Amino acid sequence: MNPIQNFFDKQRKHFEPGGRLAPWEPFYEAMERVFFASPETSPQAPHCRDSLSVQRYMMLVIIMVLPCLLFGIYNAGYQSFKAAGQSADVWTMLWFGAKIVMPLVIISYIFGFGWEIIFSAVRKHPISEGVFVSAMLFPLTLPPTTPWWQAAIGISFGVVIGKEVFGGTGRNFLNPALTGRAFLYFAYPVQMSGDAVWIVVCQNGNRIVDAISSATPLAVASTVKASGTAETALTQAGYSIQTLFIGLYPDSIGASSVVLCIIGAVVLMIWGVASYRIILGDIFGVLSVGYLLNLLANDGSMPYFSMNPWYHLLIGGTAFGFAFMTTDPVSAPDTHAARWVYGYLIGALTVIIRVFNPAFPEGIMLAILFMNIFAPLLDQIAVKVKLKKRIANV
Amino acid sequence: MENLLSIFVNSALIGNILLAYFLGMCSYLSVSKNLQTSLGLGLAVTFVMTITTPVNWLVYHYLLAPGALAWARLPDTDLSFLKLVLFIATIAGMVQVVEMVIDRYSQALYNGLGVFLPLITVNCAILGASLFMVERRYDFWETAVYGFGSGLGWLLAIVAMSTVMQKLRYADVPAGLHGFGIRMIVTGLMAMAFMLFSGITL
Repeated sequence: MNPIQNFFDKQRKHFEPGGRLAPWEPFYEAMERVFFASPETSPQAPHCRDSLSVQRYMMLVIIMVLPCLLFGIYNAGYQSFKAAGQSADVWTMLWFGAKIVMPLVIISYIFGFGWEIIFSAVRKHPISEGVFVSAMLFPLTLPPTTPWWQAAIGISFGVVIGKEVFGGTGRNFLNPALTGRAFLYFAYPVQMSGDAVWIVVCQNGNRIVDAISSATPLAVASTVKASGTAETALTQAGYSIQTLFIGLYPDSIGASSVVLCIIGAVVLMIWGVASYRIILGDIFGVLSVGYLLNLLANDGSMPYFSMNPWYHLLIGGTAFGFAFMTTDPVSAPDTHAARWVYGYLIGALTVIIRVFNPAFPEGIMLAILFMNIFAPLLDQIAVKVKLKKRIANV
Repeated sequence: MENLLSIFVNSALIGNILLAYFLGMCSYLSVSKNLQTSLGLGLAVTFVMTITTPVNWLVYHYLLAPGALAWARLPDTDLSFLKLVLFIATIAGMVQVVEMVIDRYSQALYNGLGVFLPLITVNCAILGASLFMVERRYDFWETAVYGFGSGLGWLLAIVAMSTVMQKLRYADVPAGLHGFGIRMIVTGLMAMAFMLFSGITL
């Protein structure tokens, strides 16, 4: 027999009613479900025959986010050595990057999962795999130099206030990872503003300077002098289309690589996990508002107005947010028509906030949260419209 | 024209009277149970606000403000200490009219709103709009746009809240947070998302 199954079979008796660890039964359940499908079957009809359970659903998302994490680790190491003016082989960079990034991911998991265990033990609901996704997405939206305690506070807020007070996964109305991220953004604006990003600088593999900052593509594009264009300014600052596409530049840990986000989004769409309506809506939103601004641009307006709208898809967190955040099945609308509108408005708001709001260089995070609020309203409108079209039952 | 547009966007979204200034919370928290009722209340508040804010502007600038009574040959009189009382009186009169109209034409909405319909009189958002209008020294048309925009902002907030609460009707909220507790948390989270617009200068 499989040793892992042996182990779980041996431990089961402690967690069954009357066992000495009975209150922690949800924890046992969750750990078992990481390795095995649940043995439980639903006792009465309807019997769902689809194998896409919440567990598998969430695991598929995590699998597609992992490349972004790996790239983020490599990128963190790469930027450190680059800033120090040294060269190193891939493994050294990966190792150094892992030392920067992995603590954040581990802390996020310890706290996110910890709160989930506490709540499920006290409130007697099963542990949901949703928290694995939230705890994975959250650190990827952080800059690599986020203090560890801030990561802990952020994920705690996201999981507890964003989700657990409503009863756990599937009952919340905001994306928990983004709730935590937005909380950090407003609570510690100095470290999180998004116009500059910090790189850990190393010498021979040790930290020498804690951080130096460099302007992100968003800051470059929004502060171009009136004489130039945003595209040339970006290229001069070292952000050519290729760099932006591959993602080897300092940014949030997981959000820089557009190509990996595209791969993730496409695979998730093919698997039926992500809604293609939302993602296409997002892209239409960005492009249409971008082109509209191009039309409005005249000699006196900011060069940001006349930037090629495709750039908006490359810079900042748009790709990451569109692929993994807007498609969150819980906080997005449930009807097809509403999904198009939801996606479109997220894209449109993102560009509007980027260009018009000097307080926030990046708009995607709050645009998604904002539309999460209106997702139920869009659903209700979609249903109402559909009901009106129905021929009266005479 | 551009100025009016900026005041409109400012009052409806950026400085949303409910989610940025937290005015008019009481009826917002109690009536936001379903879309129909909250839409009705939102429209009623918008209507009352659109009318009362400009009317209060007239009241203030032709009766109360220092020197406003010059037309009655009383240039030295300053009655601005009466503004709270008179503003409320205007609002109460307006609400009476709205109440009679709703009672006549939509009995269902009238019953749904219950005591909160007459309570629009003491909805702080409406009085707040009148007082802000004095503070910010708007002229008449700016005031009219401001009142309408604030009303729409309030409507937007309560409608969003009601649909969110509908979505949360299967939520398993801890016993201690049932009712107002969870509503306050939802309102706080909504206000955080509405910060999206804060910082836009028009």
